[in-house]
Amino acid sequence: MSEPPSLHSNRPLTLRYDIPISRTREFWDSLKAGKFITTKCSGCGNVTFPPQADCPACMGDRFEWVDLGREATLVTFTSVQVAPASFEGTGPYMIAIGEFKGGVKVLARLEGTEPKKARQGMALRIEARSEKDGNPYYVFVVA
Amino acid sequence: MTRVAIIGVGHSRFGRRTDVNVGELAFESIREAVEDAGVDKNDIKNVVVGTMGSWYEESLPAVVVNEYAGLSGAGTMRVEAACASGSAALKAAYNSIMSGETEVALAVGVEKMTEVDSATSVELIGRAGSYMWEFENFGMTFPAYYALYAVSHMNRYGTTEEDLARVSVKAHRYGAMNPLAQFQKEITIEKALGSPVIAWPLKLYDACPLTDGSAAVVLASEEVAKRLTDTPIWIKGVGYSSDTANLSRRSDYVGLEAAVQAANRAYSMAKVSPGDIDVATAHDCFTIAELMAYEDLGFCRKGEGAKLVREGQTEIGGRIPVNVDGGLKAKGHPVGATGVSMAVEITKQLRGEAGKRQVPLKNGLGLMHNVGGTGHYAYVTILSRS
Repeated sequence: MSEPPSLHSNRPLTLRYDIPISRTREFWDSLKAGKFITTKCSGCGNVTFPPQADCPACMGDRFEWVDLGREATLVTFTSVQVAPASFEGTGPYMIAIGEFKGGVKVLARLEGTEPKKARQGMALRIEARSEKDGNPYYVFVVA
Repeated sequence: MTRVAIIGVGHSRFGRRTDVNVGELAFESIREAVEDAGVDKNDIKNVVVGTMGSWYEESLPAVVVNEYAGLSGAGTMRVEAACASGSAALKAAYNSIMSGETEVALAVGVEKMTEVDSATSVELIGRAGSYMWEFENFGMTFPAYYALYAVSHMNRYGTTEEDLARVSVKAHRYGAMNPLAQFQKEITIEKALGSPVIAWPLKLYDACPLTDGSAAVVLASEEVAKRLTDTPIWIKGVGYSSDTANLSRRSDYVGLEAAVQAANRAYSMAKVSPGDIDVATAHDCFTIAELMAYEDLGFCRKGEGAKLVREGQTEIGGRIPVNVDGGLKAKGHPVGATGVSMAVEITKQLRGEAGKRQVPLKNGLGLMHNVGGTGHYAYVTILSRS
């Protein structure tokens, strides 16, 4: 069956965002130095990940940085076989949610295992990485 | 206090609709709904358009849709609650009547998802969470979000890949009986299990397709509804809730807390229990989502969703028929249209107009469960014949 005619627009739209990170910049700077830290509210003690400068529990704006360490356990995971357009050609890749001591959970890529071997509760370690253009990020690897 | 009724419904054919633009597509269901209601379109003072957009060319879809249908001049807005945008539109239209602001309102849901290539659609839905912490460096996809729940549910409760396939087989069986559905062909468990993995353990046949489609409902105050129709379908309860953008901030991954809260609020407002419901639509964007919906809605105990589908309790003739229109899986999932499409289906069922898919009615009560994102938004709406 042939498709009905459509007008193929000649005006493609490219969106590229400059995402502000100044209020939690220390997270990214620490990551470059290999440390994985997040925010703790100085008022109520609430620890948040992703880090945020304002506390969602008490709405206070005073906070300190705490080191989450490197060890986490595997909570759940998947393996992406069909990747989004901007990740085309990079798959398949695994993604996991890991839980740190104290209960903070983090989502990141998972390396060093495969879907049939991964088990909930297995020990993970978080590692800092950086892209070719210098943007830092982090991955879980099997400990 | 007034009550609000659905007095007219309209529904386009769902599928790859490269034959129509967004205005034309929305009009298919708007015209049908207005005719079904028997209202003068000039009496519609509020049009709420549920759509997520960005995969089609219009930035202001509500005014484009209204211009095409000759509804310019009515109060209007576009609302977004991801895949629950349709229910959000219904809620906003309902509110405008409950407040006494208007007597007749129109809720329209529309989406055109196939004007961009499918990798771009995957990209746009993959960003439906917390962009910086889930997408930018990691490349999450919509199936991947639900796969995180599937892995947890399977580990905790022994739900199997076969159970997920059973949900898909059921969806396709009813899709084959729905002339407006995107997929009108039955499938087997073997075919579902043999389909390629898209986000482990979810396979192609665990996932809803990319769909173009629209649906519309005309809502009226009690006074107008009683004047215009003998079969008003009343909106008896609406519950809505939300959850964190980041999945990592959720406490568990075996159910959608926002859906549980929305359901409890809807049951309490309607003063009914899960066991009173005759027919339901559940937001089965993925097969695992339908099993979790059974549990979140209280149709079974936590962890027993798979048992319900194994026993055929959610088929016509079972304890609580769910998605007998084919569901998102087979009927299709034009994001913003889905919630309104659910309202059309439940209205037809409660009017006794669902033909060979008609469920037996005991209490005249139907429920629609509409989730946006991965439980980011949740709307549960209860409709009633009386």
